[in-house]
Amino acid sequence: MKTSWMKRQQHLGYLFIGPNMIGVILFFIIPAIYSFYLMFTDYKFMSPDTNFVGLDNIQRMLGDEVFYIAIKNTLMFLLSVPVSIGLAFIVAVVLNRSVYLKKLLRALYFMPYITSGVAVAFVWMLLFQPNNGPINGILRAIGIAHPPGWLSTMESSMYAIDIIWVWFMLGYNMIIYLAALQEVSGELLEAAKIDGARTWQTVRSILWPLVSPTTFLLLITGLIMSIKQFGIIQAITQGGPGNSTTVLSLFIYQNAFRYYEMGYASAVSWALFVIIMIFTVVQWLGQKRWVHY
Amino acid sequence: MNKAVFNKSVITLVMLFLSIVMIVPFLWMISTSFKTPSEVFQYPIQWIPVHFNWSHHVKVWTGDNSFVLYYLNSLKVAVLSTIGAVTLSSLAAYGFARIQFRGRDTMFMVYLSMMMVPPQVLFVPKFIMFDWAGIYNTHWALILPGFFTIFGVFMMRQFFLSVPYEISEAAFIDGAGHFRIFSRIILPMAKPSIATLAIIDFSWHWNDYENALVFLIDHDLFTVPLGLQNFILENNVDYNGMMAAATAGIIPMIIVFLIGQKYIIEGVASSAVKG
Repeated sequence: MKTSWMKRQQHLGYLFIGPNMIGVILFFIIPAIYSFYLMFTDYKFMSPDTNFVGLDNIQRMLGDEVFYIAIKNTLMFLLSVPVSIGLAFIVAVVLNRSVYLKKLLRALYFMPYITSGVAVAFVWMLLFQPNNGPINGILRAIGIAHPPGWLSTMESSMYAIDIIWVWFMLGYNMIIYLAALQEVSGELLEAAKIDGARTWQTVRSILWPLVSPTTFLLLITGLIMSIKQFGIIQAITQGGPGNSTTVLSLFIYQNAFRYYEMGYASAVSWALFVIIMIFTVVQWLGQKRWVHY
Repeated sequence: MNKAVFNKSVITLVMLFLSIVMIVPFLWMISTSFKTPSEVFQYPIQWIPVHFNWSHHVKVWTGDNSFVLYYLNSLKVAVLSTIGAVTLSSLAAYGFARIQFRGRDTMFMVYLSMMMVPPQVLFVPKFIMFDWAGIYNTHWALILPGFFTIFGVFMMRQFFLSVPYEISEAAFIDGAGHFRIFSRIILPMAKPSIATLAIIDFSWHWNDYENALVFLIDHDLFTVPLGLQNFILENNVDYNGMMAAATAGIIPMIIVFLIGQKYIIEGVASSAVKG
């Protein structure tokens, strides 16, 4: 609602937003435009001259075998998102209902999310040791004679990363679900109980549909968040063995700061932007159908 | 004991057991940091070492490039970034939420669109710009951009929108301007939101690995995540040392979490559900 005093002091708006806006221009908008320009150059940082190469970088990207491996690995990495969400829903439903020590339990499940990704990467690196690590020790003890090589083989490395990421994100997803479940009216659940609904039926026919906007939101934001992530993977495997854990975001980082192929890295980073934009548009369109305020 | 209490107890026990699975990597980490090299991969796992071996922790905290240095660097970066981010985000959020001016909604749309740009797009140009400006390989390369968080503006704006406009109106009639209304009325009301933003922002900067990786090269500038990586690279067969270093990397955030649990959890929940 516009009121007279708001109108009279409108120039003050620029003073309030100005300081922040300067930073957003310097550290977001100018770099974004600059990167768009670099995409069409062969900028290498090390070599003094930079040439405009047109669409060469994009052509190179589309012909680069590793680019496709990175896309495949990214998709495999994103598999962890729905798994983590599903588990988080189950945990949240149970924690929201009848347990003692609710606050303690909530904190324990949330713990991984607040810790340093680099530190947990190194802990998992040892837990996953193929020959003598504790995880394979347990697997052998329960009768699995040939447990997976986890991070050490090209076949299993991405699954090992997925397991770490499910564990890392579970607490975050659970907290969001708990917030959503708190909104579900107790009367509805009471009515279902009187009608003789079993726990499983209540969860499946009432809770799951009612929190579907949250599920959708978690799915899209989780995919976007995960697709940008490369710190844990960089710390734990640097993309190896081979290129088996080189996801798209890591591929960009390595091209830019290991090989100093900065023009090429810029082109790939815009491919990543396009993927994120698709998710964002889906979310924006989906919001109207899914999210009820 | 009646049936309901029994059921509740059983479920609690099951959930407690599963929650231990969630924190077992940390327990193993701490336990291993006190072991001797030969005990690391002993099976069955020896959870409580026979003799507590402090030497790995001593090694992590003393000597060249010790964690004391990394802690001080991280504290400097995280504290300064957080102070700047909270201040500038609150100011901007007040402008976006409570002052009508030309171009406001367009500007806000620009902010929105910046959320879509992945950090990978920005790393190379920022690297070149920082090198040119002489702040590459200094803490300013982390601190200055840290002042500007789009998430912070969103979070604070969300709160400022929820404060009734009649409060500002009444103050305005009494002769107060926007700066006075902001500093004397709205900001004091926003204390819980400020605490939430400060804690989330601090933890983000403390754990930030990617920016430090790209913008720092000198060992004596390293923050905790880089220091940790450096330690592991130099001692990659010293598994006990690795776990002592990982413990040092994680402990501060666990302390911050235990103190500010309520704010962190509420902040995380509100940012996704309302935002």
